[in-house]
Amino acid sequence: MQNIRNFCIIAHIDHGKSTLADRLLEFTGALDNRQMQAQVLDSMDLERERGITIKSHAIRMDYTAPDGQSYIFNLVDTPGHVDFAYEVSRSLAAAEGALLLVDAAQGVEAQTISTLYQAIDNDLVIIPVINKIDLPSAEIEKVSQQIVDLIGCDADEILHASAKSGLGITEIVQAVIDRVPPPQGNPDGPLQALIFDSQFDAYRGVIALVKVFNGELKPGQGIRFLATGRDFEVEEVGSLLLKRVAQKSLATGQVGYLICGAKDVRNIKVGDTVTLTKNGAPEPLPGYRQVKPMVFAGIYPVDSQDFEDLRLALEKLVLNDSSLLYEPETSSALGFGFRCGFLGLLHMEIVQERLEREFDQTIIVTTPNVIYRVTTTDGKVHMVDNPSRMPDPVRIEILEEPYIDAHIITPPEYIGNIMKLVTEKRGMLKNQSYLDPTRADLHYHLPLAEVVFDFFDRLKSNTRGYASLDYEFMGYRESKLVKLDILINGEILDALSIIVHKDKAYENGRLVCQKLRKIIPRQMFEVIIQAGIGNKIIARETVKALRKNVLAKCYGGDISRKRKLLEKQKEGKKRMKQVGRVEIPQEAFLAVLSTDE
Amino acid sequence: METAGLYLHIPFCHAKCEYCDFYSITVLDQMEQFCRMLEKELQLRAAEGQTYQFETIFLGGGTPSLLSEKQLSGILETVYRYYRIAPDAEITMESNPGTLDAAKLKAIRKAGINRLSMGVQSFQPAELQALGRIHSVAEVLENFGNARAAGFGNINLDLMTAFPGITPDSFQKSLEQALALQPEHLSCYTLIFEPNTVLYKRMQLGEVSPLGEEEEAGYYEQARILLEANDYQQYEISNFSRGAKRVCRHNLIYWRHYPYLGFGPSAHSFDGRRRFANQRSLMVYLKKLGAGQLAVDFEEQLTDQQRMFEYIFLNLRLRSGIPLADFEARFGTSLDAAFPQSIRELRESSLIEYQEGHLRLTSQGWLLADSVAARF
Repeated sequence: MQNIRNFCIIAHIDHGKSTLADRLLEFTGALDNRQMQAQVLDSMDLERERGITIKSHAIRMDYTAPDGQSYIFNLVDTPGHVDFAYEVSRSLAAAEGALLLVDAAQGVEAQTISTLYQAIDNDLVIIPVINKIDLPSAEIEKVSQQIVDLIGCDADEILHASAKSGLGITEIVQAVIDRVPPPQGNPDGPLQALIFDSQFDAYRGVIALVKVFNGELKPGQGIRFLATGRDFEVEEVGSLLLKRVAQKSLATGQVGYLICGAKDVRNIKVGDTVTLTKNGAPEPLPGYRQVKPMVFAGIYPVDSQDFEDLRLALEKLVLNDSSLLYEPETSSALGFGFRCGFLGLLHMEIVQERLEREFDQTIIVTTPNVIYRVTTTDGKVHMVDNPSRMPDPVRIEILEEPYIDAHIITPPEYIGNIMKLVTEKRGMLKNQSYLDPTRADLHYHLPLAEVVFDFFDRLKSNTRGYASLDYEFMGYRESKLVKLDILINGEILDALSIIVHKDKAYENGRLVCQKLRKIIPRQMFEVIIQAGIGNKIIARETVKALRKNVLAKCYGGDISRKRKLLEKQKEGKKRMKQVGRVEIPQEAFLAVLSTDE
Repeated sequence: METAGLYLHIPFCHAKCEYCDFYSITVLDQMEQFCRMLEKELQLRAAEGQTYQFETIFLGGGTPSLLSEKQLSGILETVYRYYRIAPDAEITMESNPGTLDAAKLKAIRKAGINRLSMGVQSFQPAELQALGRIHSVAEVLENFGNARAAGFGNINLDLMTAFPGITPDSFQKSLEQALALQPEHLSCYTLIFEPNTVLYKRMQLGEVSPLGEEEEAGYYEQARILLEANDYQQYEISNFSRGAKRVCRHNLIYWRHYPYLGFGPSAHSFDGRRRFANQRSLMVYLKKLGAGQLAVDFEEQLTDQQRMFEYIFLNLRLRSGIPLADFEARFGTSLDAAFPQSIRELRESSLIEYQEGHLRLTSQGWLLADSVAARF
């Protein structure tokens, strides 16, 4: 146990976390150049494309130091987006130390800070590293000062590195040995192992990533998951090298994987504690919480006949993504589909892309919304996750929406822009402080619904990408909200209904109608688009009828070519959803999402 | 015996028109060799035609009127030698009015051509020039008279509309002058910017642009109103005839999805399930046939679904529409049973209607034929 080092890397997107991980793997000999596919840890295609880590991972490196001592390093990788804050916290709980990696040109960002605080809360030893010191725009002095101010270390504790060129890697490895404490725990105590991630393998079922806090985990043991109360028998334990390598056991302090024949990821929850069925620990490790989706949207097949295919796809997808919730729902416009709950908007986009790419589904995702708390006049409280299910206004006593507690970190020159944006988004400034002269921390309370809509993109574009955002759910607050309906040729298209603040309803309705006019192609008849609140129409646009769509010449024997032209038109239609007689492109369902012009 | 059509592609032109995407070349020295190879192809493929009675022969191009009297009769004799041609067959030849004269028309008629199609395009000299046509208005008028004198009782004029530079006025004048000649048949095509044409390239360079949808629709309407008022029936989207007997029987074979055999470079053939085409290159064509081989380049076997879709979109182009009994006989299911929802919705939108055993476009759906077809 004395020679085990469990650590993670805390870094903002693009600050070089994956590159550093690659260098460490190389340096310790866990893989050679030939095995190296850049950034091994980000294994999902999507992750590599987006440059962020969606799922956490862990990898073991065996390292013999120059003094002859052998060490086991377990690098626990953490997801890098606010949507996955809880998963981050569980990964941190599996480590004793953290490399705080800061870009020498960009400095400290909001997400880094919030993760850093979590790490400090978990008593992790922080090793600050300034990365990319060879960049021409590197400002090492300035960034050093930021770090000193932030964590109260001495400037000479900060390591300097360039993960890209390999500079400083030796020092980082030595610092991990010297500064990260070995894991604590009682090898003779009752088993307590923390699940900090799970994966799904088509042959082996659920593979849980665990850290053993006390006792020992080995094949044949009867185990119990304390939060779910499910019992299993250990089939296999081992270490994660580049592949899974089975071990006789996982001793106290070790990080590794556990296979126990569980077929459903929902049985194995991140943050849960594993113990033995006999003489097990009575108490779980602290920190478990049920992850609750924050954002909801409908997912529908474009072709209603593909509903069962979509169900199968979702069933398979949740095997790898236990935080996705879904249940069947019906829309009068879209037919049968699913209401899905996501951790955040990024999570939603990832699910959408995975369904399309991995499962080849042609789907419509409706406008995302948050979950509203409605107290009706009869005193009952309803949680409404679908705007079209909002009770009639006369029956509503209290209508509340979720609020978040948000920190925006920005260079001071953008404060004006941010203030303007946040005011538009109904935010309230709670506090403003400076991390250093070049970095302000703006603390806001904001309705979550406003952040779900295009907030992050606009924050970035209003600050040339410099501002960063971090938030957590703070509770429900009463708001003046109304349901805005969109009518197509006089019929309400329920999937386009949104809940908006009363003061913004007119503006919103007008913009949505204008956008839909541009998105909905001309059809064989006129299409009238209206926005309404209750029975009142507040905006109207018209898509004029198509006048002519016919090939002039269709003679000569080359009918194959004409057919292919028409088949192309047909294909285009297949990607549209037919609502009544009107064909509506997929993007129309997200048109209500961003309300800027 | 199954009804079929026979097409001969003569790929030679004096000059290429900017808008034309039919295969042709402007070097004429290989015409003689081409005629021999065309006859060879007719001979080699004789077995394909065994089960057919050919109701029509169509010489298209290119400019078939460039053929000499001897070349033309040689080709037609070969056709008659190897294929069963109906006694009352419609035998059409496309022509450029600038390549005709009284003697030539007599010879063409004598060789057996009984329907003449003249590529007039416009009666406005400036427009003809802009379209890159080599003929003059005077030649059209003169040769129309010569054709009648030679005994052609069935003449088509091709007109073009909705091209850059045309105006409703100039189009009206062209239509009126065409009507004054009293042809049996009029084709009226809106200009298509076909890929791989000079015109298309010029469009990409921003030199010309297609007319808007509204304008195009306007020209269609203009032609329909004037021609119908003069007893021409619009029996297909772009085609008008004086009386049901004067329709283009050859083109009807395509629209009704009957089989056809095509000969010459780029010509397509169809046996009801398989469609194939010859090389779109005279050089390759001559080389292959010279070696005693066929020059097939493209080939596809239609699925049942594709056959059905072709049948529907082609028949929809006809004023009469889709013959329901014929559909059921061919596909073993009624049209209504195959597409209940589409038909219901299209009828509710007044875009299609049932009429005398047919399902056809309404006047409202007429110019939306492709959008309607895409619902099947």
